[in-house]
Amino acid sequence: MKRKLLLPVVLSLIISAQAIAAQGNKENGKAIYDKKCWWCHGEKGGGDGPAAKFLNPPPRDFTAGWYKFKTTPFDEITPADADIFRMISGGMNHVSIWRGMSGTSMPNWGDVLKEQERLDLVAYIKSLSGLEQPQKPSIDYKNQVKSSKESIEKGKEIFKKMCTECHGEEGKGDGTKKLKDDLGFRTWPRNFTKPWTFRVNNDPKEIYTRISNGIPGTQMPSFADPSSKKTLSDEERWHVANYVASLGNDVKKAKDDTVLKAIRLIGELPDKIDDPKWNEAEPTSFWFIPQIIAKERFFTPSLDSITARAFYNDKEISILLEWDDRTKSIPGDEKAKEIAEGDMLEDSVAVQFPVIIPEEMEKPYFGMGDSAKPVNIWQWRSGKKDSPESVKLMNANGFQKIEQRDVAKAGLKATGVYNNGTWRVVMKRALSTEEKDKDTQFVEGKYTPIAFAAWDGSNGESGSKHVMTTWYWLLLKPATSKSTYIIPLIVALIVFGGELLLVRASRK
Amino acid sequence: MKIPRLLLFVILVAISYFIFKAPGIFLKQPIPSSLIVMYMFFAVVTILLWMTSTEEGMQGLVGPIKAMIEDPSKKTLRNIVFLIVPLLAGGITYMQLRPTYEAPVELRSIHPAPPSTVKVFGKTFNLMTLENPYRKVEKEDPAKFAQLVKEGGEVYFKNCFYCHGDKLDGRGHYAHGFNPLPANFTDIGTIAQLQESFLFWRIATGGPGLPKEGAPWISAMPIWENFLTEDEVWKVILFLYNYTGYVPRSWAK
Ligand code: HEC
Ligand code: HEC
Ligand code: HEC
Repeated sequence: MKRKLLLPVVLSLIISAQAIAAQGNKENGKAIYDKKCWWCHGEKGGGDGPAAKFLNPPPRDFTAGWYKFKTTPFDEITPADADIFRMISGGMNHVSIWRGMSGTSMPNWGDVLKEQERLDLVAYIKSLSGLEQPQKPSIDYKNQVKSSKESIEKGKEIFKKMCTECHGEEGKGDGTKKLKDDLGFRTWPRNFTKPWTFRVNNDPKEIYTRISNGIPGTQMPSFADPSSKKTLSDEERWHVANYVASLGNDVKKAKDDTVLKAIRLIGELPDKIDDPKWNEAEPTSFWFIPQIIAKERFFTPSLDSITARAFYNDKEISILLEWDDRTKSIPGDEKAKEIAEGDMLEDSVAVQFPVIIPEEMEKPYFGMGDSAKPVNIWQWRSGKKDSPESVKLMNANGFQKIEQRDVAKAGLKATGVYNNGTWRVVMKRALSTEEKDKDTQFVEGKYTPIAFAAWDGSNGESGSKHVMTTWYWLLLKPATSKSTYIIPLIVALIVFGGELLLVRASRK
Repeated sequence: MKIPRLLLFVILVAISYFIFKAPGIFLKQPIPSSLIVMYMFFAVVTILLWMTSTEEGMQGLVGPIKAMIEDPSKKTLRNIVFLIVPLLAGGITYMQLRPTYEAPVELRSIHPAPPSTVKVFGKTFNLMTLENPYRKVEKEDPAKFAQLVKEGGEVYFKNCFYCHGDKLDGRGHYAHGFNPLPANFTDIGTIAQLQESFLFWRIATGGPGLPKEGAPWISAMPIWENFLTEDEVWKVILFLYNYTGYVPRSWAK
């Protein structure tokens, strides 16, 4: 009898304890904030900590009282406590090992701060702008339309009408507008083909939440607001959410495999960028990081990854580089100027190889080589309004010692096309050249270090301000030789023969 | 219960294989497969030598095999085994010969021996005797020390966090673009093992300041002599230890 009574009592105790805990303690929250958060969000929560000027998007200004990723409806400025708690905890999405808010510097605190500590932080942060509890409940998902071919089709039509001006024809965030947030910082609309860059994630429920509630403080509007010109019905919002969720393209995500394999072709290499033959080459993607190592450093990149494919035959190698860039930067072009940030320069991409392919692991320094070991750099530039695209060939012993070389003599060619938010550039050169001590000589089967760099001219990138990668590998993949199949067969036969001998021996 | 010798042999071989594989599975630092083949060869030979060192052991091992071949009642078993063994041998050979295109393994020494002196900030520092000039303030004037730590924190959050992480865990928002990853200061394998003079050398001279065994050509660690003052380097070191709660190794230990 007694035992039966105990359970409900204990349960109700736990529940009431949780209710108290859910309040969070402001003072405790402040103590944690002053150790962990002020560096970015500022001593008084103004979003102006010492780290702030290195960050885009900037850290949230907690005194302003708006939160981007909330579940309360568009006409309720106050987020639910659970919304703030969730954004502090993080881990909803990730880019490689980064588990904070994707595409920002806001870390996930779920792994180092206890639940209670995070609740305390919620209480403290809210107090910075005097936020109370929301008057309206969070939106619900009871009318969710499950994703289906029809729903995605319908969503696509709505998307074309409502979203492309900012998010681009194919959803790569390559809109036609220059967007700033309420504080005047440049914002880049999300690229839906890269779901790992979503601040929350691309679950249709999350997308539906963003579409319904908007993203406060930014130009991402609410499509549930009946007073706006852009209202969508509940059902329409689900269709478009399903469509957006279907756009993810995993090829663009860098994997653990860091070897770009050039495939051997018999005969000519594809000449045109849009040759369907390119689909037969294996894509390998790499993460870009901004150049934050040597002067002048650069902290506000807009490009985050590059995908490469390669073919070779007995004479030449051809590399296709593909990267999403929200802006086609053509200096001199009026339309391009409208969406550019500051002075516009050309877009550009480069690949780098050691001049001498190392036999051991010792390579040139990944940032443009070093005094002992030079690198070969092939750079393509998009061109200006009245000058065409161009190619440069450089040899560098570090970024201060660069030698410009003759492109034609080395036989280096490159050409590029921009389409709906993606650049595709093909670079081509002979496997071996005359100046063997100056040009990388490609050899089948040899692991060749390769690194990439790119410049978004509409994002103020030029010179040392660009995105780059560390060393990865290019391999001219040899065709598998016949002996790979024959030798195992012979081994199996020999072992079998041995067994027969054993049996015969034992019979004697 | 006595384990049959043949089974014991199989178990021991399996255990050694697992031991050689473990670093790859748990620490993501796999031993190259060519080395594993060599290690396994020695392991099998050692186990065989040990198990056949006595006559009884030899019998226990060879007996069941002999019985299988000779005993007519075990014919089906024999046929099955005789089919599987050549297939296995062929299969293993194929796996060995089959071209794989994984990235070559690159080993580097994480904490190579520092030079005895280092020339930075226009001076020569003797790393054998160098100490953090601010360390003594910790006891003499705690309030001033707290201020120094805070200043070090500002250096960190203007210069280091995007690689080494807001949580000092080596996972800043740009860390994933680098190999090797930025050092994780909360791990007991980094600053907890080191003297402040070692950190001073590493921070001032960065990746390119490493000796060859540290693979300076891939370390993304910047040369901070170019960006920070000597003072700022000492302060950021104070911050690293203060935030993580570790104490620097001293000469005494
Ligand atoms: C390295 C810098 C950095 C640190 C440290 C940091 N944040 Fe942030 N935080 C950011 C940035 C940047 C954003 C804005 C992201 C955006 O606008 O998409 C942000 C956003 C937020 C948001 C708003 C989410 C929303 O929905 O609008 C909350 C809440 C938050 N941080 C809480 C914290 C707390 C609590 C801590 C300390 C435990 C902390 N942050 C530490 C950089 C940081
Ligand atoms: C006026 C410009 C504009 C329009 C129109 C617009 N968006 Fe956005 N959208 C933005 C901006 C800017 C952001 C990035 C906000 C930020 O995080 O700073 C964004 C972000 C998003 C996100 C990101 C969620 C996340 O977790 O990161 C989704 C999803 C989204 N938009 C969906 C849509 C859909 C669907 C439509 C059409 C129904 C649409 N948007 C129309 C500007 C726009
Ligand atoms: C561009 C990224 C980057 C930045 C910025 C950066 N580091 Fe590093 N750091 C690394 C990498 C990568 C390593 C590991 C490779 C190595 O040992 O050189 C490292 C290693 C270190 C080590 C060696 C730790 C050990 O266990 O040997 C120290 C100390 C260090 N960094 C301190 C700092 C400090 C202090 C700052 C800021 C002033 C800083 N780093 C900024 C990338 C960076």
